[in-house]
Amino acid sequence: MSPELSVVTTAIALPFVGAAATPLIYRWFGERTGYAAAALALVSFGLLATQLGEYGTVAAPWIPSIGVALRFTVDGWALLFALLASGIGVLVFTYSAAYMHGGHNLQRYYAALLAFMGSILGVALAADLVVVFLFWELTSLASFVLIGHHTTDGESRYAARMAMLVTVGGGLCLLAGLLVLSIAARQALGTASFDLATMLANDEAMRSALRDQGLFVPALVLIAIAAAAKSAQVPLHFWLPNAMVAPTPVSAFLHSATMVKVGVYFVGRLRPLLSGPEWTLLFATLGLVTMTVGALLAVASTDTKELLAYSTASHLGLMVAGFGFGAVAGGEAGAFHLLNHALFKAPLFLVAGILAHEAGSRSLDNMSGLRRELPVTAAIAVVAGLSMAGIPPFNGFYSKELLFEAAYEFGHEAGGLAWLYPAVATVASIFTVLYSLKFLAVFFGERRAPQKTVPRPPTALVVPPAVLALGVLVVSAVPQFAVDLIVQGAVDATARGQPEFSVHFPPEHVTPPLLMSGVAIVGGVAAYPVTDRVARAIETVRDSTVLIRPSGWYDRALSETERAGAHVGPLVHTGVLRTYVVWGLATVSALVLAGYVATSASVPAVDGLGVPLIVALVLLIALLAGFAVPTAPSHVAGVLTLSILGFVLAIFYIVASAPDLALTQLVVETLVLLIFLLVLQRLPEFYADLDRFVVGRDVVLSLVVGVMAFVSTLLVSPDPAADPTELARYYVTEAVPEGGGTNVVNVVLVDFRGFDTMGELVVITIAAVSVLVLVTMRTRGETQ
Amino acid sequence: MKTTARIAVPIILVLAVSLFFQGHNLPGGGFIGGVLTTTAFVLVYVAYGLDYLEAGVLDREVDPGTGIFEHRSVTAYRRTFVLGLTIVVGSGLAGLLLGGSFLAQDYVILHDVPIYHEVELASALVFDLGVYLVVVGGLLTILSVVGAE
Repeated sequence: MSPELSVVTTAIALPFVGAAATPLIYRWFGERTGYAAAALALVSFGLLATQLGEYGTVAAPWIPSIGVALRFTVDGWALLFALLASGIGVLVFTYSAAYMHGGHNLQRYYAALLAFMGSILGVALAADLVVVFLFWELTSLASFVLIGHHTTDGESRYAARMAMLVTVGGGLCLLAGLLVLSIAARQALGTASFDLATMLANDEAMRSALRDQGLFVPALVLIAIAAAAKSAQVPLHFWLPNAMVAPTPVSAFLHSATMVKVGVYFVGRLRPLLSGPEWTLLFATLGLVTMTVGALLAVASTDTKELLAYSTASHLGLMVAGFGFGAVAGGEAGAFHLLNHALFKAPLFLVAGILAHEAGSRSLDNMSGLRRELPVTAAIAVVAGLSMAGIPPFNGFYSKELLFEAAYEFGHEAGGLAWLYPAVATVASIFTVLYSLKFLAVFFGERRAPQKTVPRPPTALVVPPAVLALGVLVVSAVPQFAVDLIVQGAVDATARGQPEFSVHFPPEHVTPPLLMSGVAIVGGVAAYPVTDRVARAIETVRDSTVLIRPSGWYDRALSETERAGAHVGPLVHTGVLRTYVVWGLATVSALVLAGYVATSASVPAVDGLGVPLIVALVLLIALLAGFAVPTAPSHVAGVLTLSILGFVLAIFYIVASAPDLALTQLVVETLVLLIFLLVLQRLPEFYADLDRFVVGRDVVLSLVVGVMAFVSTLLVSPDPAADPTELARYYVTEAVPEGGGTNVVNVVLVDFRGFDTMGELVVITIAAVSVLVLVTMRTRGETQ
Repeated sequence: MKTTARIAVPIILVLAVSLFFQGHNLPGGGFIGGVLTTTAFVLVYVAYGLDYLEAGVLDREVDPGTGIFEHRSVTAYRRTFVLGLTIVVGSGLAGLLLGGSFLAQDYVILHDVPIYHEVELASALVFDLGVYLVVVGGLLTILSVVGAE
């Protein structure tokens, strides 16, 4: 059975439609818009759920000439991610309706959140590189809007810009990587293609094509950078904790369950295509380093959401590392943990939201013993928190066990330094247990809270995390159910071959991975009493020097850029028209000439004597007029000689049998003359005395522009002896039958190339509007 | 100056319109017609000033206190180019609706029309009208606003 294109596209398009209609929905529903959005998400979820088991690829043409199509693949991996996104979307929208009660800008909030969900579904299901890139960037854009929800808050703007720069910068690397893939596809598949599904089907040919052209490592590195930026891998992890200024539902949805997983998702998607020794080295190392650094920083956190953010980075590292290992267990770890992490981390964020909402604090030091007032919330947190720590028999334990297995196998096979991988994974897990316990401590121990009484949270806040915690319990109790339902499909899609996947619990005998889990749990619990000292030690290292903090580098790069801009700005942007002309012309000429030099274009020989007498005469007059302009004694004389030049050019066009051009030139020249007359009286009688430097500069510039124009004309004008090109013949022969006009120029303008003409009209309109705006601003005194 | 303008402007305008209409088959078209029309208007400005069109031709009261942006002719020019752009995009979408691609054009030749015997109706003319309006509106907006400075 193959999936239905209409169902898939509807599921993706629905949230976008909802986003566009949000202002309208908001007018009807007011603050209950959240429930309407949840209903939309539920419909998407239901539509996608009907496709369970119907795996395949469907496509609708988009830009057939370059092989781009709206192509969607439905397989276990895509569906797992899409169902998670829409399912958690339902809960987050429900939660938002209560959490955002009385908030500002709710229309924008819901519109962005809906658009985000649509983009995530798009990324998950897209099987065309261009479509993947499009949706990928849309998620970054939506995240920017949502992180910057509090537009008046400086911190919020800072974080939004940081997230935007990092993730969109990564997106550009993705674009480059995807282009590399499509170049390789030209050799592997015979045609230039953006069809990811076909590439994955011919992975062997793609790999050899990439290696032939020496593009394997570049493609790998580019995609790794993109994934690392999106999925907050070290050293690009720093935007994620900052992004926590967003409203908590956004953090739960974007920055733990879905958007940050896009990178991991894509790594999994390309795993069958690109995996090899380089792949393992890159992704396993990246993942394990992130897992460790994230866990360490989480232990040192003092804020609930900050802790969860670093923990998210750490778990994303776990997934990346899982996919990094070539072993079967690695892919299983990555795919299964994607599900498990979404199930336990989203409710923890929602719990943090409840704490902030009810107890009024996000500080870990400020709160403890809240289980008496918030018993249900505490229960949810315990279930999810133990799963996060990887304590058996919770689901987080299973996927972590799989990672240990993959790391252990890798160490066992490669030996030597490779034993570091399982060791690092175990150490990171010790800290994972530690920070999980630290988070849970807000519910236990002595009663301490910033407020005397903590009110009961509304049902709408408790139900969504409770549903997710229930999911944790179900997967924990019968992991094989989740595996059979969807995880097996995801594992199939992210691995070569058909690995059989089953989860056994309790384990039949003691294995090395089990021992590693044991070490992690015992170590974490044993270290718990000295958490504060550990945290202080980590802080000392973290704060020792700016150089090891990537956010420090980010700030520095930004401020340096701003400083450089402040220097360059006044040089180019003087507000004097002639400066702009100098810079503009010089840049264009330099670029064009550099282009000719780079392509080592050769100027064709010109037969100077073949020019008819009349043309030579006309051009001679033009030349004389050209010399007369700068030497003219007065403004009026200058303008008039300039017009002579223009009208002579019009005559030249007539002689060269181009009546349309001549007419245009004539009319434009007349208009320009009139405009000159209009401004003539405003021009100063006398400028300054001639400055030698300025004169020299202007002469050189004129010469450069002249050379550029001359060479360009020589290079682009066709050989008069040659036959007209195919295009020219087509225009001439088809003008009457296709366009119904005998004026070929006009038919080309309005019919064959109507799109270009429309673009030019838009330019005219923009020019008119900008003149209006500029002059309006000046009259209002907003010149600066 | 005023005398010249008085004679030249009507001729220019008629010429502009004829160039616009013959554009499909002979030299001319929306852009040239548009620029020529603009020239006629600019001639009027140079000769008579900005308010002449309103006060002298349309015989309306001109409120001297309002700024150039509330000036009625500027508003009209602004509307003109917006209308032109709408026509262009609309004609493109019409091509899409009628089963062709975006901006697809077609034409019919009407026979047995009095005097002309045969008139060709090209949908490209609609597009060209949009071009004409955008050029006239855009250029005149710029000119009158900058000219008023």
